[in-house]
Amino acid sequence: MSTQTISTREMLTGPIFANNPVAMQVLGVCSALAVSNSMQTALVMTLAVTFVLVFSNLIISSIRSLIPNSVRIIAQMTVIASLVIVVDMVLQDVAYELSRQLSVFVGLIITNCIIMGRAEAFAMKNPPHLAVVDAVGNAMGYGVILLGVAFVRELLGSGTLFGHEILQTVENGGWYLANEMFKLPPSAFFLIGLMIWSINVIQRKRG
Amino acid sequence: MAIKKDSFVGTMIFTVTLCLLCSFMITGTAEILKERKLVKKRDELMRNVLIAADVDLNGQDFRALFKKDVKPLLVSLDSGDVDTSAANVMDFDPRMASINPETSIKLEKKQDKAKIKTRANQVRVFKVFDDKGELTSVVLPIYGKGLWSMVYGFVALKPDLNTIENVVFYEHGETPGIGDFLNDTEWTKQWHNKQIFDEKGKVSFKVVKGGAKEGDVHGIDAVSGATMTGRGVQRSIQFWFGSDGFEAFFKKLKASEV
Repeated sequence: MSTQTISTREMLTGPIFANNPVAMQVLGVCSALAVSNSMQTALVMTLAVTFVLVFSNLIISSIRSLIPNSVRIIAQMTVIASLVIVVDMVLQDVAYELSRQLSVFVGLIITNCIIMGRAEAFAMKNPPHLAVVDAVGNAMGYGVILLGVAFVRELLGSGTLFGHEILQTVENGGWYLANEMFKLPPSAFFLIGLMIWSINVIQRKRG
Repeated sequence: MAIKKDSFVGTMIFTVTLCLLCSFMITGTAEILKERKLVKKRDELMRNVLIAADVDLNGQDFRALFKKDVKPLLVSLDSGDVDTSAANVMDFDPRMASINPETSIKLEKKQDKAKIKTRANQVRVFKVFDDKGELTSVVLPIYGKGLWSMVYGFVALKPDLNTIENVVFYEHGETPGIGDFLNDTEWTKQWHNKQIFDEKGKVSFKVVKGGAKEGDVHGIDAVSGATMTGRGVQRSIQFWFGSDGFEAFFKKLKASEV
């Protein structure tokens, strides 16, 4: 029983850092590049992915003994796609402006490899409660990278965080000359690259 | 289990059930959100009309403003008369009206400048008044095909029924990034005080490639890379302000019959 609890905790915390889905498995990078130019979009995207990931893992894990092997990928896709449509509809209802900013990327959660990967690699083989833990862990791993990148990009690109002014930019009569590059997707490449590098270095030191 | 899950029948049963359950999930959500969506749509409409009429919305309750200053009218395009029999003009659904064969006409290819195929017999226009009850603008719905999609918008004319007050394009599916200028206030700003008709009453409004000349009262700048979108907008204007559009209504309005 004791080994079980340890592994459950590792299941939750592992993907946040040591086995981060974005940094270590380089999954779900597409959306991480696209929506990480402000904290707000990054946070909403993280929440959307968390919702889809938790429920897809839960549902797929609960019906895993019923899924015929030959259609298992399609079955997973169907569940994921339905959840994404639900998220998209809810988002358009509660935060219309934000959902417009996220535009296609909410819909593209369907193709986010993290969700598909967790469904196939974990939820298909484990009971629902573990699948949910795994989903939360991986969603947090995704969120940490996304919010981390968004933090740097919004701060350096616009001088704001969550839309609040932190560094007063020159345009607004301040001192900070905003670095426009951070508003553009390529900057996320550099930042994610740096993150992968640093996580690797720390991992190696730990052995 | 009597049926093996990996057998043909088992797989079929599973897929059908899963698809049904998933579709229930989606339709359920859609149904729950439906009411709220209608309210949102109504709000969006009111806001767009007010923006088109160039009413300052800053810090104002747009619902109250709309109620106070705007009068929606249902206009029959062929006669130009206002239909007063309609109970609630705000419930009018222009899109349904334009595709329902009973409430629309088919357009001949030659007439159909805006490439909309069918045109509703009635449209909803909005008269906007100021605090003193003076008419400040008439907001007219227009739409037409751009490159990929229908572009929907409102054009507000000043009481002379020629000078443009402002314009709003609230829905389009043009190339993302390139067609976005339709929502750009920098671009729509140019429409201010431009004239639709020339002295002879011909629709002369143009979207000019290479940029409108200084002092051109009919032309606004086209956007590079979006030739077809610009042309679509120009043709929509030509259609809607032409003889198949608001012409009859304008005549009645000028004679102050409505």
